[in-house]
Amino acid sequence: MALKLALPAGQLARPTDELLRRAGLIVRGYTDGSRSYRPRLSGRRGVLLRVFREKDIPIQIALGNYDLGICGLAWLKELLTRYPSEAVVQLRALPLGPSSLYVAAASDSGLTSLDSLAGVPGLRLVSEYPNLTEAFALSARLPAYRVFAVSGAAEAYPPEDADLAVVAAGSEEEVREQGLRPLCRLLVGSPWLIGHRRSLEGKDLSTVLGPLMALEGGRQREDGLELPAGLAAPPGSPLATERPSTTVRLALPDGHQQPSAAAILRAAGLSCEGYDEQGWVRRPRSSLEGLDLKVIRPQDMPQQVALGNFDLVVSGRDCLMEHLLQFPSSPVEEVVDLGGGQFDLSAVVSEDMPADSLAEAVELWRRQGLKAIRVASEFPAIADHYARQNHFWRYQLIPISGASEGFVPEDADVLIEGVQTGRTLAENKLKTIDRFLHSTSCLIASKRRPPPGRAKLLSQLIERFRQAGSPPPTADR
Amino acid sequence: MVEESPRCRGMRDLLPADMARFRRVEEVFRTACLAWGYQEVRTPTIEHLHLFTAAGTLSPQMLGRVYSFLDWDGWSGERVVLRPDATIPTARLFVERLQQEKLAKLFYIQNVFRFAEGDEPREGWQCGVELVGDTQPRGEVELILLACQTLERLGLGPVEVRLFHPGIVRSVLAEAGLERADQVRVYDRILDGDPTALAEVEERLPSLGAPLRLLFEGEGAGSAYLANLGSAFQKAVPQIAGPLEELATLVDTLSALGCRCQVAAALVGSFEYYTGPVFQFVADGERAGGGGRYDGLIALVGGPDVAACGFALDVAKLARLLPSAEEAIPWQEAVCVKPSSDRADVVVAAFGAIGPLQQLGLRTEVALVRDAPSACRWEVTVKPSAGGIGYSLYDRSKKRRRAFAKLDDLLAALEATGGGS
Repeated sequence: MALKLALPAGQLARPTDELLRRAGLIVRGYTDGSRSYRPRLSGRRGVLLRVFREKDIPIQIALGNYDLGICGLAWLKELLTRYPSEAVVQLRALPLGPSSLYVAAASDSGLTSLDSLAGVPGLRLVSEYPNLTEAFALSARLPAYRVFAVSGAAEAYPPEDADLAVVAAGSEEEVREQGLRPLCRLLVGSPWLIGHRRSLEGKDLSTVLGPLMALEGGRQREDGLELPAGLAAPPGSPLATERPSTTVRLALPDGHQQPSAAAILRAAGLSCEGYDEQGWVRRPRSSLEGLDLKVIRPQDMPQQVALGNFDLVVSGRDCLMEHLLQFPSSPVEEVVDLGGGQFDLSAVVSEDMPADSLAEAVELWRRQGLKAIRVASEFPAIADHYARQNHFWRYQLIPISGASEGFVPEDADVLIEGVQTGRTLAENKLKTIDRFLHSTSCLIASKRRPPPGRAKLLSQLIERFRQAGSPPPTADR
Repeated sequence: MVEESPRCRGMRDLLPADMARFRRVEEVFRTACLAWGYQEVRTPTIEHLHLFTAAGTLSPQMLGRVYSFLDWDGWSGERVVLRPDATIPTARLFVERLQQEKLAKLFYIQNVFRFAEGDEPREGWQCGVELVGDTQPRGEVELILLACQTLERLGLGPVEVRLFHPGIVRSVLAEAGLERADQVRVYDRILDGDPTALAEVEERLPSLGAPLRLLFEGEGAGSAYLANLGSAFQKAVPQIAGPLEELATLVDTLSALGCRCQVAAALVGSFEYYTGPVFQFVADGERAGGGGRYDGLIALVGGPDVAACGFALDVAKLARLLPSAEEAIPWQEAVCVKPSSDRADVVVAAFGAIGPLQQLGLRTEVALVRDAPSACRWEVTVKPSAGGIGYSLYDRSKKRRRAFAKLDDLLAALEATGGGS
């Protein structure tokens, strides 16, 4: 049986590639601009490589889908803090640059040190690392705190939309450069080589394990977590979080939705300094008086509207559906279909699968005696809903954070994925068997009545977007 | 990796025999509580997480094992939990609904959920009692007697009551100059058997005459032992006198009432939670439950500064420890009614006989499966006869069969032979 090694995509890819090279492991098709998620190891037989988002690697190792993997300590601890798994073995810290997680507040807030958090009820914490953030809050004994998991841009939230952010940074100075004040370091450590316990117990991994373990440097303790002691203090008053009643707050998307959102803003006659087709800053400025702008991830926007932090957001219908399927009573709705960024959420399987519809695929899996259908998706609530609606008998939901096309067929049976032209699917030998939700950019607002001082500007803005947008949305199938 | 069993890991099915033992524990506990003037309550399975996170409620170790999640309306970011403990929800219930009571005597039988590795149980059942009000020291005495009575009525006596007072450890660690949070950490290290922890504390207490090992590792049988501890440590740790005195009063009272007491200074891990005497009940050499005084808890969950204490017994453990005699279900005093065919009037007559038989106080069953064996002492066969429906009664214990034309005659005969109460 082949040795399966999971390699990180993103920022860690190039240093990892160089490290493997130093260990004599030459990888083709990893960091040379290839769109494939399956690079190859030169001159070594029986080794399968697969590129994942770093966050997904500890999960794949814990599941036993891969024997060995390389990922940052923060993502490893993010999994193990919440789900202590004996299946994941930390083999060695690798001689790659260490990184840290810091708990930080806005530099102009009253939260100046860890001790200043003592007894403050209702603190709002935001992070891409919700499990580590939760561990911090529990350890510090913060009273009645709330943790918001975001898919990125945590540093943009304080002070208006969160009191504390747990962010990754190389140093305290880097945290300050993001406009935040570091209160304490929560974790520090280099990336790790990790393995699946059963693979270590019964499978010869020496082809890869030997050279990597022989590398010099990088030894360190397994834990890198620096959880604080309990902050004992009687419950005090919550922080004031009231926002001005006359300002309308609009969130704009970063990432691939940004160019189309910038075009929509222009069509709506809203000029924004720091947000156009060429680029963006976290806090663009609007020429319209009373309009406050911030750039965050589109996936996190519906919840921000529900919380009352933003009045309007430009996001995708897929993100709204994901939010509403997770929280059906959330007071958010689509108010304008903006038309841009069109794609279909679809069920995707291997090209080799002899099935052209979902019904045929389900029947085939049943005939093959599959114990559980493995459903991978960046939209876990939508995927879960889809599996229930379509009577998958027993299924295993694998939430993933990206690089999704590489999951099928080895690590998942079906992918719930946004499909635009289908070109990427074809390149990865995949095909669509069901298109079930047409998604476009849309303007999302709260169902609640706005305060009187905000209502007029809000309705004016919605009208501008309506005129700039395109026809009403296609209904969910 | 998909689990082979369709049952969730750490979850248990209770089979009929298990349920009989489970109900026996519940029944004895409930009867005892009602007799002592306690009233039953039940709290929801799902509670807000923040109820359990404040300092002084659940320990960080316990918090790391709770089942917490965002509810369907959890977009506000507030997490909820499957109840990991029954005392804190009962304290919340008191604060929300019963605050006006000067004294609340409450009991419950509830499940709690805590993650455990492997196939260790993740759902437990507790028989618990909470006594809210200024009751020290009589409250502890009543709770301990109630728990001992329950265990003894279950046939699990003699019960040993192990006593501890967190104030003993706290006063030593405070005298050593440790802040509250550091006290918890050092105490955890001592409980974990870290030999350097005691040495570090001793270093901070130069006037200490006796080694701390004496306090943390020793055990004694009563107030004499407590007096000895006082003599050994009171000079270096004057604050130790109060907790020792509280324990001595309790031990003296309980001993005079016939309880077997044992005092151990280092007994519980989560000493952050308790403010006064802590007790454990040991039956058949196994820890069957425990409790103590937690005077800060009601205020911590948002209520007034009211004292409280309580205990909980582990139902699953007690059910397992029950003497084997409890396992036998008295099926032999039951009646099995057998319709001789599926003809409608025969089936109607068979089911029609069940009510009158139950009114005699008999356990009944209808033979739903033909020729299935039955453990019942009596067997009533219902069959067609010249007059419509006839009955025959077979007594297995006497191997005797009698025929009856009317059900009333059969009932009278059964009553005459001692069938029914």
